[in-house]
Amino acid sequence: MVDKEKCTGCHQCELWCGTEIASTSRELARAINEEPHPAPRVYVEGKPFALQCRHCESAPCLDACPNGTMRRDPETGLIYVNEPTCIACWMCVMVCPFGIINPSSSMKVAIKCDRCRNMGYPICAEVCPTGALSLVERKDYRKKKF
Amino acid sequence: MEFIQKKTADNAAEHFLAKAADRGTKLAWDRFEGQLPECGFCESGLSCRDCLQGPCISHPFRDVNKRGVCGKDKDILAVQTLLKLVLKGTMASLDQVSDFVEGVASGAVKPKDKAEADRIVAGIEALLKEGGAGMKKAFPKDLLAAWEEAGIYPQGVAKDLFKASQKVEGGVAGVEETLFWAFKAALLGAFAQRLQGGLKKAVFGAAPAEIEVNMGILKKDTATILLYGRFSPVLKAKIAAAAAKKKVNVAGVCTDPLLSPYVFAPVTSYGSQELPLMTGAVDLIVTGDQFVHPSVAAIAAEYNTVVVPTETLKGRNPEAFTNEIVEKALNAFQFRSSVARDIPEAKESALMGLSAADLDVKKIAVALNEGKIKGIAILAGTNNVKFTQDLPFVTMAQEFLKDDILCISEGDASVSLAKYGFLNPRQCGKHCGDGVAKLLKAAGSNLPAVLDLGYAENGGVAEFLFALSAAAKKAVKELPVLACFAEANRSAEVAEALGLVAMGVSTFFWPSLPVTGSPKTMEALGKLCGEKFGARLIVHTDKKMEPLAKARMILKVFNRVEDPILKDHPWTDWKTQG
Repeated sequence: MVDKEKCTGCHQCELWCGTEIASTSRELARAINEEPHPAPRVYVEGKPFALQCRHCESAPCLDACPNGTMRRDPETGLIYVNEPTCIACWMCVMVCPFGIINPSSSMKVAIKCDRCRNMGYPICAEVCPTGALSLVERKDYRKKKF
Repeated sequence: MEFIQKKTADNAAEHFLAKAADRGTKLAWDRFEGQLPECGFCESGLSCRDCLQGPCISHPFRDVNKRGVCGKDKDILAVQTLLKLVLKGTMASLDQVSDFVEGVASGAVKPKDKAEADRIVAGIEALLKEGGAGMKKAFPKDLLAAWEEAGIYPQGVAKDLFKASQKVEGGVAGVEETLFWAFKAALLGAFAQRLQGGLKKAVFGAAPAEIEVNMGILKKDTATILLYGRFSPVLKAKIAAAAAKKKVNVAGVCTDPLLSPYVFAPVTSYGSQELPLMTGAVDLIVTGDQFVHPSVAAIAAEYNTVVVPTETLKGRNPEAFTNEIVEKALNAFQFRSSVARDIPEAKESALMGLSAADLDVKKIAVALNEGKIKGIAILAGTNNVKFTQDLPFVTMAQEFLKDDILCISEGDASVSLAKYGFLNPRQCGKHCGDGVAKLLKAAGSNLPAVLDLGYAENGGVAEFLFALSAAAKKAVKELPVLACFAEANRSAEVAEALGLVAMGVSTFFWPSLPVTGSPKTMEALGKLCGEKFGARLIVHTDKKMEPLAKARMILKVFNRVEDPILKDHPWTDWKTQG
């Protein structure tokens, strides 16, 4: 979850997401020079506010996906792209209300944040220098006053 | 963010880490952990704060912001980051030498060799204004010719440093041109160091001395002054003279330990500079700017230690100032009698301050030519909190000496090695392989395993290299010499590393410099420098490499074993050349 008061727009979440999740080398100095360049799953654009997947309870991307590539992990509730079956129809890209699903032109798959479901803790929250990104339960987040 | 790694290899320092944790005192290691993860853009040299339209970054993973507002791309951003570091490092050398000249010119000390001192002072004054004509005497002809050809022959501070500093302000200079400005600046720094070394010799004389290092040298029953950082030798001598009269103990941290006839025993090395204050046995510290953590003031306050910045001397009579310092130290000693003095037993003897004149350079040259030793490693630089303090130095010295590579060290690297007995002449046999042991016996009397060539500010390494090159009748770049900044940290070290590369010594540099974001700059530091100077700056990006792996990688170069990491390395060039 993002605390918009704390986000300074420093792009660190993008940089380390790109390195840890999207690069093949997983080392910043090498990832920088990888071609095609790694595509981060979190975005800071225009305003200091990190955008990443909300893993909606009623998720339009799940409904829009024609062949079940977009899936929800039954245990954690996290939504992820099953890359081998993606047909690059970009329906999910069009319906996402937050604009966080992006077409990867080089790989022909939709790419989106899966909240580092295989890593235990999201890397963006780990590296955020101001603590703007943090992993909190949705109900706790709602109680906060922003 | 957690960072799991042993903090230091020094037992004396480790003792205080536990104490600091108990008391809640935050040290450099704790603050480093708090900084993690460090900004990836800054780490790769892809950020810029040079103007107020920014700050800008070059985003490696996105196309919309590949260039800064003014149009700097990743290559220019990275090479300019390097230039900025070098400029700052060169300024450090120039600042020291100008302070020294001011002290000598004011007549505060009587030079041993007045004529030589006057000559050098005139040379330094010329260097600061415009003409660096003295360069011709300080460096060998072939190097000067190579620098002239590469377009990096420095003309003097006013002509070069001002221009170089403007390369970060704007203009369309490319990677190569900007890099050469960095080399030009680095050479000015190297020249300033040589002049400083000459002046120190002319004013105070120079002789190696066996001194004791590490925190065990602190005393329980005597008032103690610690000199922190590099500042004017004239002021240091005055403080030592005033302290000697009142029987006050004076030691140093990150400061040149030898200033004939005085000795400032190094209490610890750079990385653990906050810890001597935690012994409670320091009554007063005199702090310069270079190589001093601002945090020492807060820790000094915790232990009621008086802090006197050298800046407070400005406009005052140096005699009165130093007497006042000593008085303050004595008062503080009385006042602090309730502070417990916790002094660890650690103490080691070290022979420091050798110079080319104290060594039989001819014998070293012969041993190199005949293959009795495989090469010479220059261990330089201070500590960096990113590595286990001193461990890279110790591991490298151990591995190199075993494999018949002569090790020389300078500055704070010497202090680090001295703590583990590498500079103790009586422990020489313990570390060395046969070839090095025989050479050390022949090349001088009572030499330790690692030869300390004095503090970096005195340019002792360059002097040694030129003497060796003359004796071996080979250019420096043709000698099997490698420099290794195993845990570098300050900008002065970056400037020094570039200076060494320009002189023809391939240099390994850790941690990786903020140029890794630019493939062009990385390539220029390797290939272009190889073509122009016959030496390279080798920047490694692997953060997880163990010290032993690093040492073995360098050993491969000395043993001329082909290795994919070292592809196109000058050593193979060197091998094909001769």
